[in-house]
Amino acid sequence: MNAVANLANLTSLNDERLLIQAAQSDPSRFAELYESNFNRVYAFVARRVKDREEAQDVTADVFHQALRNLGGFQWRGVPFAAWLLRIAANALADRWQRAGREVTADSAELEAEAGPADVIEIERRAMLFQLVDRLPSDQKLVVVRRFVEQKSIREIAQELGRSEGAVKQLQFRALETLREQVRKSDE
Amino acid sequence: MSNISVYDELDQAIDQMLAAPEAAHVGRETEIGGLLELAHDLLDLPRENFKSRLKLELEWEAAGRSVSSGDPSQQVVRGTAPTSGEILPSLFGNALFEKTWAGYPVRRINFALSLGLHGVMVFLMGAGFLMVKSYAPRIDPQPFVTVRLEPYIVPTGLHPSHGGGSGGAAERIRASKGMAPPAAREQLTPPIILRNNSQTRLAAVATVIAPPDLSLPRMREIGDPLSALTAPSNGAGVGGGIGGKAGGGVGGDGGPGRGPGSDGGCCGDTYSPGNGVSIPRAIYSPEPEFSEEARRSKYQGEVTLLATIGADGRTRDLVVVRSLGMGLDEKAIEAVRTWRFEPGMKDGRPVAVQMNIIVNFHLF
Repeated sequence: MNAVANLANLTSLNDERLLIQAAQSDPSRFAELYESNFNRVYAFVARRVKDREEAQDVTADVFHQALRNLGGFQWRGVPFAAWLLRIAANALADRWQRAGREVTADSAELEAEAGPADVIEIERRAMLFQLVDRLPSDQKLVVVRRFVEQKSIREIAQELGRSEGAVKQLQFRALETLREQVRKSDE
Repeated sequence: MSNISVYDELDQAIDQMLAAPEAAHVGRETEIGGLLELAHDLLDLPRENFKSRLKLELEWEAAGRSVSSGDPSQQVVRGTAPTSGEILPSLFGNALFEKTWAGYPVRRINFALSLGLHGVMVFLMGAGFLMVKSYAPRIDPQPFVTVRLEPYIVPTGLHPSHGGGSGGAAERIRASKGMAPPAAREQLTPPIILRNNSQTRLAAVATVIAPPDLSLPRMREIGDPLSALTAPSNGAGVGGGIGGKAGGGVGGDGGPGRGPGSDGGCCGDTYSPGNGVSIPRAIYSPEPEFSEEARRSKYQGEVTLLATIGADGRTRDLVVVRSLGMGLDEKAIEAVRTWRFEPGMKDGRPVAVQMNIIVNFHLF
């Protein structure tokens, strides 16, 4: 199994290297790298800022910086996500310093960087965010209204023209579906 | 019922979590604990359109334009109404004038593909018309009578070539029914039914001056084909021939020809081009359509119509002389019936002229 997993990783890395080379010669190809790494970067940032708007701002900064500096990127066999997370860590450290947090530059970077356990959690969250996109449309709508916009069940029921009980069922099924999908991917 | 209570229990726990997210870990060991843990993670979900907006921004930046100050994502989404020069944002609006429309990036390949596809579509639409083009109607420069009666030279005179004849032997009854005598360019002797002198020294075939190839009913006796009488009679006319007037022909109007009209020839006051009669010229000649059946079968060829062009320039008495079938004969008649001509002229006045019209149906 390890050999198969290593081979899969090699293939994936090789594909990613080709994508990076393509994006370096044609920046419009950067969209493919963005699609495959957005949830990862956002999950990393969101764990550290605890504020959705700030997380979105930092994530946007990370990708803009990555696009601007893509020409200087050198492939060293490390996943592209590691480079993006490094940019994110620097962006967070800069932001904290500018915000006047009482931390030194070094400690801010250390705080912002991801440890091994952190990486696993980031991957889990990134996958969860991706799975939300694959939910049936009515379940996804309830999840977005309930957890992102933080609306009440009654407000969602009025918007959808359904009973509160039906919306609660949708909420339950959405979470059940996500838990099942996460479990399958962990296996 | 138990399911409903689970829904409510989960919803209440989520309400508590939304009210105090930092205390959400309480109760995770319960039946709904795993779901609550997921729900807690979902509190960090990005806004619904954030990912797509950021992607749009990046594509815009990758296309070579910087994102200006302010809230770039709002700027991208907000966009502006297109102004002049922005109608083709992919090429002219962006690339040439450096203007933007809703933040769409320059994709010259898109423009090229669009242009190419439009070109192919226009070509295919045009090819449809080119592949099946009905038509090429033309007026036969050789008028019908002239072509068909080439050896026949219409007698010149004051009243050439508008046909007819008559004659007779001053008898009490009208001419009897019978086959018209053969036609010839010159008349040596007029036709006669009751011969008074049977001792003819130099026999000659009785003829009339008329187009030689008109097909008429064949009977045992010669006579007037239009007569109803069967008792032999040369008719009440004079000067030889058969009929009620003078002239040596067959018919009722005088002259050496046959049928209605006078002065030789046949068929009444329809003239043939030539001998002072000009050829009618088409001034309005819409092309005939191809029949659906012929179009499907890729059938082509020529339809020849015999038409009379009246003094008013309209066509009448259309007869198919050479048929093509597949509905093309009807299409040719349908079209030619709408044609208008500058009529044939004789002595400065318009006259009816009979002529051939060939309609060519050709598949390109």
